[in-house]
Amino acid sequence: MLRLPVIKLTAGLQNGRIPVARLHITSSKLQQELVEVFIDDKPVQVPPGTTVLQAAAKVGVEIPRFCYHERLAVAGNCRMCLVEIEKQIKPVAACAMPVMKGWRVKTNSDLTRKAREGVMEFLLVNHPLDCPICDQGGECDLQDQSMAFGSDRSRFVDINYTGKRAVEDKDIGPLIKTIMTRCIHCTRCIRFASEVAGIDDLGTTGRGNDMQVGTYVEKMFLSELSGNIIDLCPVGALTSKPYAFVARPWETRRTDSIDVLDAVGSNIVISHRTNEVLRILPREINEEWLSDKARFSCDGLKRQRLITPMIKINGKLEAVEWEDALVATARAIQDIAPNKCAAIAGKLVDAEALVALKDLVNRLGGEVLATEQSFPKEGAGIDIRSNYVLNNTIAAVEEADVVLLIGTNPRYEAPLVNTRLRKGYIHGEQTIGLIGPNVDLTYDYEVSIKPDNTLHLGQSADIVTQLRNGTHSFSNTLKSAKKPLIILGVDQLTRKDGAKILSETQLLAQALGENTKAPEEWKVLNILHTRASQVAALDVGYSSTVEEVKEQQPKVLFLLGADDANIKREDFPNTCIIYIGSHGDEGASIADVILPGAAYTEKVATYVNTEGRSQQTCAAITPPGMARPDWKIIRALSEICGVRLPYDDLAEVRSRLEEIAPHLVRYGVVESANYFAQALELSKQVPGCLSSNPLEVKQETLDQFFMTDAISRASQTMAKCVQAVIKQRESNL
Amino acid sequence: MINLVLLTRFFADSSKNIKDSDQVSTNAVLPKKLTVALVPEEVHVAQKTRQETLAVVRENEEAGICSGIPEEHIKTRTVRIYCPAKNAMQSGTNNINYWQIDFDTRERWENPLIGWTSTGDPLSNLQVGFVSKEEAIAHCNKMGWKYYIQKPNVNNPKPRSYGINFSWNKRTRVSTK
Repeated sequence: MLRLPVIKLTAGLQNGRIPVARLHITSSKLQQELVEVFIDDKPVQVPPGTTVLQAAAKVGVEIPRFCYHERLAVAGNCRMCLVEIEKQIKPVAACAMPVMKGWRVKTNSDLTRKAREGVMEFLLVNHPLDCPICDQGGECDLQDQSMAFGSDRSRFVDINYTGKRAVEDKDIGPLIKTIMTRCIHCTRCIRFASEVAGIDDLGTTGRGNDMQVGTYVEKMFLSELSGNIIDLCPVGALTSKPYAFVARPWETRRTDSIDVLDAVGSNIVISHRTNEVLRILPREINEEWLSDKARFSCDGLKRQRLITPMIKINGKLEAVEWEDALVATARAIQDIAPNKCAAIAGKLVDAEALVALKDLVNRLGGEVLATEQSFPKEGAGIDIRSNYVLNNTIAAVEEADVVLLIGTNPRYEAPLVNTRLRKGYIHGEQTIGLIGPNVDLTYDYEVSIKPDNTLHLGQSADIVTQLRNGTHSFSNTLKSAKKPLIILGVDQLTRKDGAKILSETQLLAQALGENTKAPEEWKVLNILHTRASQVAALDVGYSSTVEEVKEQQPKVLFLLGADDANIKREDFPNTCIIYIGSHGDEGASIADVILPGAAYTEKVATYVNTEGRSQQTCAAITPPGMARPDWKIIRALSEICGVRLPYDDLAEVRSRLEEIAPHLVRYGVVESANYFAQALELSKQVPGCLSSNPLEVKQETLDQFFMTDAISRASQTMAKCVQAVIKQRESNL
Repeated sequence: MINLVLLTRFFADSSKNIKDSDQVSTNAVLPKKLTVALVPEEVHVAQKTRQETLAVVRENEEAGICSGIPEEHIKTRTVRIYCPAKNAMQSGTNNINYWQIDFDTRERWENPLIGWTSTGDPLSNLQVGFVSKEEAIAHCNKMGWKYYIQKPNVNNPKPRSYGINFSWNKRTRVSTK
């Protein structure tokens, strides 16, 4: 536990990763306002109001803590961070105490050590010695800190455990296992629930030795972010139910990767062992939060997998060898007339496969490349990128002062965007308005009681126009905003009047942008995507819609992970459907040939998230059975079809990606979109008018959140969540 | 910058020492003298070669080729240079302030004998730590590995205050305890 990499001794803090090193603001005026304090005799300049703990972190002194978490409110109740301050009689809680000028903090003095030992002794008196059977063992803060700061002996003499505290376990749903006896009452889970998840369900009851953390009445913790309380819990009181007794942290390997189950592109760490994904954890970049779907649907990677190529023989899919499948496909493609070949790309497809398939279809004379989710062609369409990305970046969402959500439910479409909005709402006094159905976003949004008694802006698309004209009651708020932000749900663009909605939104965004004195790089117009592959697909030119493919009636249709229920066998009576994908879902069931592909944990692949940031997944494990990374399948197929694609390895595919769109291989960088004015001019020519149909969102309640794609549909854990949510809704608690 | 580095090489060029190595292998199979058989083979070779070889190696010489790593594992592997991410399960950050390299994943499987993980990849368990990115890059260049750098996360937490829990006119006021 206390083994540190040798390198650490010399590494020190040189690479600038000590986070708070950036608190410095160099302007001379601000520097005067800084207070100087001494942490273990090391001087440090911090802005007034900084806590002792943060000041210490700035010089690389880590103060032990249980209740303090840098993304949650300060509670100051565990007392582990007690430190001595010179000339003060009592030790102070470093996490809650703001520094004063000239303070000399001693984080390793006798008094400090004694205080820590005392706290640790009290915690351990009521903590069971469960470590050997505890899932937290090996990554437990209590375990580590008792080794480092605890006493070497105990005064706990009740060997019969007659007076040892024991607490009944709570049932808070299918994801979180509770062993409440282990709880040390740090209240991190409570603060997370009320502050970040926005669900005030958790709390404490009783006092002193009888204090318990729980939901008071037995109910499910109904949050799309519930898994995060597992990470937050510094002990093993809250652990992962699907991961219970599965593995120890030291026996798993960790691979940094990207989540693809929504369009946020959350950074994750995949824990795996023996070619099996065991669990998924967040990385610090998304504020250490992760949605439940991203975290728990990893068991879907082991079920319903396509592991061998298949061909439909006498109306039945039969497993065959790769050679047979590829030759059968090539035979179907042979002598194909130009423009009789099409492709539809699904939700979870990576940019490499998209580009390879585009190249293949183009070489076969096909031009129709569609995404499941259509994007309007009128106006600038996909030609101008600012039309379809979240231009202002996700992290900046919390800086806005007025946010207008149009036809989106960020809570379920992009839970981590919603946490940013909630953060802005709580810490930045953000005003949020929603045009769309009355959904629970976990924060209050604009209430303006309309004649029809709805408690939101309204549900009709023409409110966008009203807001621009100033005829709506919310428009004054919006126009007086310093940093306004509009987030348009991409599902609305699939409507018949999608282009018009986009055009109206652009007009409104432009009006607001002119009005405000926001800095140049502040982008008002933002599109929120729901599919991980969509931005990359639009970037490389998948411009058609499923309807167009249906009209075209191609002879050969490639479904690249396309599992949309909208694609039916009846629509393609004379088409050879070739499915390339990882899971046996809707798409595979209608296919004539199935070529098994790799899931996102099994390939090194490029994804572009909704803000236009390209990121790459790292392969944690190898694809099961005969499955192969998608672009390799397409490359092999092209060889047999006689239209060899000119790339043999990943580096070459990526140089092809770079030819098409250079930003696709600039990993980690947001390629900011531009040409707002031109996009606006083009969209002004969009004919038609807004339809009077109300704006609907696909995911309104929590049960609709869990199963949205082939992987999460295959996951048993997600199925249990849906069941539990429905059951909870039926109960009256 | 030092252009020339003097290195004591334990293993000389194979062409130069064919005679020696032949002798060693015969020794191992059929010990002629008892002393030779008792001394571990490596020590024996090392002693011999140390006496007579002192090679001058330039800094930018491809150490990878000389190191005996199969060429396949030099030419085809991609190294990721990154800062290890903080473990979300724990609050400590003292063990992540360095740079690390690791290799692309090859197949691993569960060994049927005792259930441990097996792999055919000799670089599977190689993780080297560095103080800085530049050192890691220099090492990769020296070994002849292709590499890419994963940008570290810039974490910029906001100052926290205990008082806002109780501010009466802000949304930060805490209701639940």
